[in-house]
Amino acid sequence: MKILTCPLNGPRNISEFTYGGEFHHMPDPKNSTARKWAEHVFFHANEAGIVTEWWFHNATSFWFLAERNTITDEVIRTFNASDIFSERQEFNDQTTNAGSN
Amino acid sequence: MSMQSTEQFSPVQYQRRSQLYRRHIATGAAFKAVANILTVDAYSKTIEEVQKASHLGLADLSTHPRLGFKGSGALSWLNQQKLQLPENPNQAVQQAKGSLIARLSQEEFLILNDLDMASLTAEKLEARYSLDSTDGVYLLPRNDSHCWLALTGIQAPDCLAKLCGIDMRVDKFANGEIAQTSLARVNAIILRYDLGVTPCFYILSDVSLTEFLWDGLLDSMQEFQGVPIGISALKKLSQDI
Amino acid sequence: MAALNRLPPPYGLLLNRDNDITFSFENRDYTGFNGDTIASALAANDQWMISRSFKYHRPRGVLTMAGQDANTLVQLPSDPNILADCENITEGQIVMAQNYSGKFEKDRGAWIAPFAKFLPVGFYYKSFFKPKGIWEKWAPMIRKRTGLGVIDPDFQPEYYDKQYKFYDVVVVGGGPAGMAAALQAAQSGAEVLLADENPILGGSLNYARIDVRSEYAENIRKKMIGDIEAHNNIDVMVNAICNGWFADNWLPIIKGRRLYKVRAKEIIMCVGSLEQQAVFHNNDLPGIMMSSAAQRLIHLYGVRPGKAAVVLTGNTEGYALALDLLDVGIDVKAVIELRESVPQDNDIVKEVMARGVPVKPGHAVFEARKSKNKQHLAAVEIRKIMEEGVCAGSGEIIECDLLCMAVGYTPTYQLICQAGGQLSYDDATAMFTLTNMPKSFQIAGSVNGAWNLDSVFAEARRAAIIACNALGKKAQTVPDPIIDHADISPNFRWPIFPHPKGKEFVDFDEDLQVADIINATRDGYEHIQLVKRYSTCGMGPSQGRHSALATARLVAKATNKTVAQTGVTTARPPFAPERLGHNAGRSFYPAQRSSMHYRHLEAGAQMLQAGAWYRPAYYGPKGSKSESVHAEVLNVRNNVGIVDVSTLGGIEVRGPDAGEFLNRFYTFAFTRQPVGRARYALLTNEAGVIIDDGVACRISQDHYYVTATTGGVSRVFQNMLQWNAQWNLDVDFANVTTAWCGINIAGPNARIVLQKLCHDIDLSAEAFPYMGVREAMVADIPARLIRVGFVGELGFEIHVPQHCGEALWDTLLAAGKDQGIRPFGIEAQRVMRLEKGHIIISQDTDAMSTPMEVQMGWAVSRKKPFFVGGRTLAELEKNPLSRALVGFVANDIEAPIPLECHLVLDGEKMTGRVTSCEMSPTLNKPIGLAYVVPEKAEVGSQIDIRSTGGLLVTAEVVDLPFYDPENQRQEL
Repeated sequence: MKILTCPLNGPRNISEFTYGGEFHHMPDPKNSTARKWAEHVFFHANEAGIVTEWWFHNATSFWFLAERNTITDEVIRTFNASDIFSERQEFNDQTTNAGSN
Repeated sequence: MSMQSTEQFSPVQYQRRSQLYRRHIATGAAFKAVANILTVDAYSKTIEEVQKASHLGLADLSTHPRLGFKGSGALSWLNQQKLQLPENPNQAVQQAKGSLIARLSQEEFLILNDLDMASLTAEKLEARYSLDSTDGVYLLPRNDSHCWLALTGIQAPDCLAKLCGIDMRVDKFANGEIAQTSLARVNAIILRYDLGVTPCFYILSDVSLTEFLWDGLLDSMQEFQGVPIGISALKKLSQDI
Repeated sequence: MAALNRLPPPYGLLLNRDNDITFSFENRDYTGFNGDTIASALAANDQWMISRSFKYHRPRGVLTMAGQDANTLVQLPSDPNILADCENITEGQIVMAQNYSGKFEKDRGAWIAPFAKFLPVGFYYKSFFKPKGIWEKWAPMIRKRTGLGVIDPDFQPEYYDKQYKFYDVVVVGGGPAGMAAALQAAQSGAEVLLADENPILGGSLNYARIDVRSEYAENIRKKMIGDIEAHNNIDVMVNAICNGWFADNWLPIIKGRRLYKVRAKEIIMCVGSLEQQAVFHNNDLPGIMMSSAAQRLIHLYGVRPGKAAVVLTGNTEGYALALDLLDVGIDVKAVIELRESVPQDNDIVKEVMARGVPVKPGHAVFEARKSKNKQHLAAVEIRKIMEEGVCAGSGEIIECDLLCMAVGYTPTYQLICQAGGQLSYDDATAMFTLTNMPKSFQIAGSVNGAWNLDSVFAEARRAAIIACNALGKKAQTVPDPIIDHADISPNFRWPIFPHPKGKEFVDFDEDLQVADIINATRDGYEHIQLVKRYSTCGMGPSQGRHSALATARLVAKATNKTVAQTGVTTARPPFAPERLGHNAGRSFYPAQRSSMHYRHLEAGAQMLQAGAWYRPAYYGPKGSKSESVHAEVLNVRNNVGIVDVSTLGGIEVRGPDAGEFLNRFYTFAFTRQPVGRARYALLTNEAGVIIDDGVACRISQDHYYVTATTGGVSRVFQNMLQWNAQWNLDVDFANVTTAWCGINIAGPNARIVLQKLCHDIDLSAEAFPYMGVREAMVADIPARLIRVGFVGELGFEIHVPQHCGEALWDTLLAAGKDQGIRPFGIEAQRVMRLEKGHIIISQDTDAMSTPMEVQMGWAVSRKKPFFVGGRTLAELEKNPLSRALVGFVANDIEAPIPLECHLVLDGEKMTGRVTSCEMSPTLNKPIGLAYVVPEKAEVGSQIDIRSTGGLLVTAEVVDLPFYDPENQRQEL
């Protein structure tokens, strides 16, 4: 069984975790085109190479991110979501953009 | 607080009942009440039970007081209560009067009362919490969300090795260390805090799984002749230093 | 009574001769000793045939004596396919042979062998595909002929379990390399596990002859085992098989009825090699065996493997074996040396010559001949080798009852390739080699091509030093690797001799001959993986252990490729057969119970499991469902009942941004929700699909208590955390599902009962209206009261701390006794919710359902700046609906009641399906929900449902809810 290193709990059997899908930023839910929104919701890149993924440690209800090479199945690093999301995100009637890009 | 140990107690006379009380009765448990809390005193003679507990025993502390706090303000609020807090997550420290404070993450703490109920730490903190203005501190009902079991004895790590993917041998998993992990396929908090010289692993898991876990642990203990034990044996062990 | 072939001590290392053990094979009694396997005890008694082959029912006997072949599979009363050369005999054990019809000795199934030429490779594929349907006719007949043992349908499950183990270094294989590696690692300070599948450590040192006087191996073996036993840092597991390699050095090791899940920081694989057979006519006859099998019989089991022997060899080990045979009084008729010349300056070879054994260099065994009863070897015909694989036109007959093959090995590559090691072929040594080891993983010993014992030890110690350096133990200088000279390779490059009559078996398991492999390539299946699938080569119980090398050589030659290019097929775990019990272990099926669980049982409830939760379906005897549910429903509609709703999810959402969070998360608007009120909460994902629902109770300005479905709460909680990991709102989440248990008291008399137990708040409709939320004491227990009702009557959901649940249940039942209160189960609740037209997420919704489709557009706020499914729903609302969930009633009481998933038809066309349908005790007719096309969604439309037995039932679309459309009863 593979080992995944949780930033909170250290190395654990991967059966302690739930996969949370590919990580990517949400496009502006108000102003992005329907096409762009649909790609965000329905199409995942599924790249061969290094991808960033959400992982959840079941026993501590802890979400974090992992960089994994999908070719070798090697996990390059794991880190807290706050490394990417450090600010409070706002949505308002005009724009907004939630996702920082 | 008066200790009543001569009467026969029945769990159904109490509002708070362990999910396991029927199993305790079937195993011949004698109960003991402290205030409004009923726990299993012993299943057999205490002296024998201490022996067994130092080898491999399983106790149900589910009616025993505990609670949790979390949130961005939890650390500083608990510090204000003049408690000794663990430096890092997944560690526990014992307070002067015997209760344990476990740090489950940067912002989450678990308080387990001492076995003698001398400190009343959980009760006092709960009362204080409702009085203080406590921004960013959130109480967790650990009394009810989790069962609380204690696996004791020198064989406890071997027994856990049949259920849990973490190395809990005494030279690998230090006293005061915590693992939040999977035990018999369910999530559990496993906290090692020895009773005197006897290894002791407190196990807290979802209360709806109490029977499943209790039965699974007993089954796993059979190989080592482990048995259920009462709180008396635990207290005796803790005095043996 | 001494068995015919039993040798005296010191032969028989594994035997304890104190007591005889009697067992039976094919209804005849045999005796053996403690430590004997079934095969060794039978061999001691001169019973050599153990099984019949899979396809041609040919007699088969001992081949490896190491559990690596399918020849020795036998039947025990409750266990098919037991390896007779591994399974120890026990007193009174009943053993039968497998795969024969009639008598084992005279197998009626053997008639097929002469027809082998009509059973070419790919026979099934070529024969049974035309005309259509013919396979169905043939299959039962063929299946009856094939297959091995018989299962025992009365078998009782046994106790199996699992255990985790953790080591610095795990050494797999307890032969000379493994022992040396383990000792070195332990001496360097590592905690070591040394695991071996055999009953004792030692590996080939237990039976192989290294020197002329046969002393060296024994001495060194004793010394090493003594050192290992004395070392505190080494755990030894024997009779323990490592059955695979999984990511991050995770090894399943099976011993007895336990599967050990072993995590190793460093692994050293010292798994040795598997001796290979020569391929010639009738090479499968009992009496023909690997040289190592003969040595195992002699040294481990004290069994003389024959009386008159021929040794076929391509290496010096054949000569060492010849000495062993001579030592136990076997007449060694000849050593047939495949190589053109006999090695000169080798003491063992010289000794064989000195003892007068004729040696025939440049010769091969062209064919083996059967004894009169056709069940044993009687003679071999040897011929001079003219060129690779080609013999002279005639030769010499040598009578013998034992032929030992010492023609080469294959490294035991299976676990190593699973770990990522790469298998190549070295033409100089004619041997498979392994390279490209992954991190923290090494190989040593013969599996790594070391054949000289000194180099085996040196390489093993070197591997251990590398491992310990990697572990951060005291750093040691790594010695240079030692590479054995290619000359000492034990592999003869082409021990394959096709015969005009065939029957030169490449794969014993599947009865595959040289021509089968060649023809597979000619039929167009040139790739080794295709050869395997087409011919079934390597698919039998021994998984190609003895066919992979010969097949690779044959395929390479037939396709003009190198053996390295041809390679072998993938060797997936498990390495050896394992039992389902080993995989299953103890049955850990987590079961969740509410605090009132035992009260339900005591009240005679029939329990059902919803996910892991036990819930009361209805109260009453099994089979009384419809009457019980009917009575429970009427009691709630007309009086008062209680139901255990503890399984309902509960999440505390607390903090200054609690309202803002819910606004973003759920479809409705929450920021202006008053304190003390509950609001319906519908959850969609980013695709706008409904994934859960519940109510959000505003306990205080910064505190919501949100309910969720029993099955959905874990995911809802996960989703909340994941979204807020991105939004960073000042809010905290706690899943308190099980911390609170819940009882819903419902029915027109609910308030009367509750008033008896709850005095600190006003329960009147004015003071505590529908969708109100209050905190109060109920029966002296702190409670949260919510005026919701899934069932559509006056009702209070009472949530109290879990450990008080049973006390509350008892008190409510006692308080309502005068009113005739009674518990109701999930089934009654489902009927009543349907009468009220409430949907159940994931029963009435599927992976495509949007709020608009299920008539819940009212629960979606279009004014909010953002919510999770918002953008997608806005896009979807630009287009017309493609389907709608509607209520229907079936007015024809005679027609069968439609069931969930029955189709809604428009003529022949499927246009929707029923999602819920029940007989309504209140309305006295079947009511249900179904997806229909939008044109049919209007009230009064008629829809056709294909009901049980294909019968069309016409139903009428009606307005929801079915019951109490003004909602007066729940707001009482």
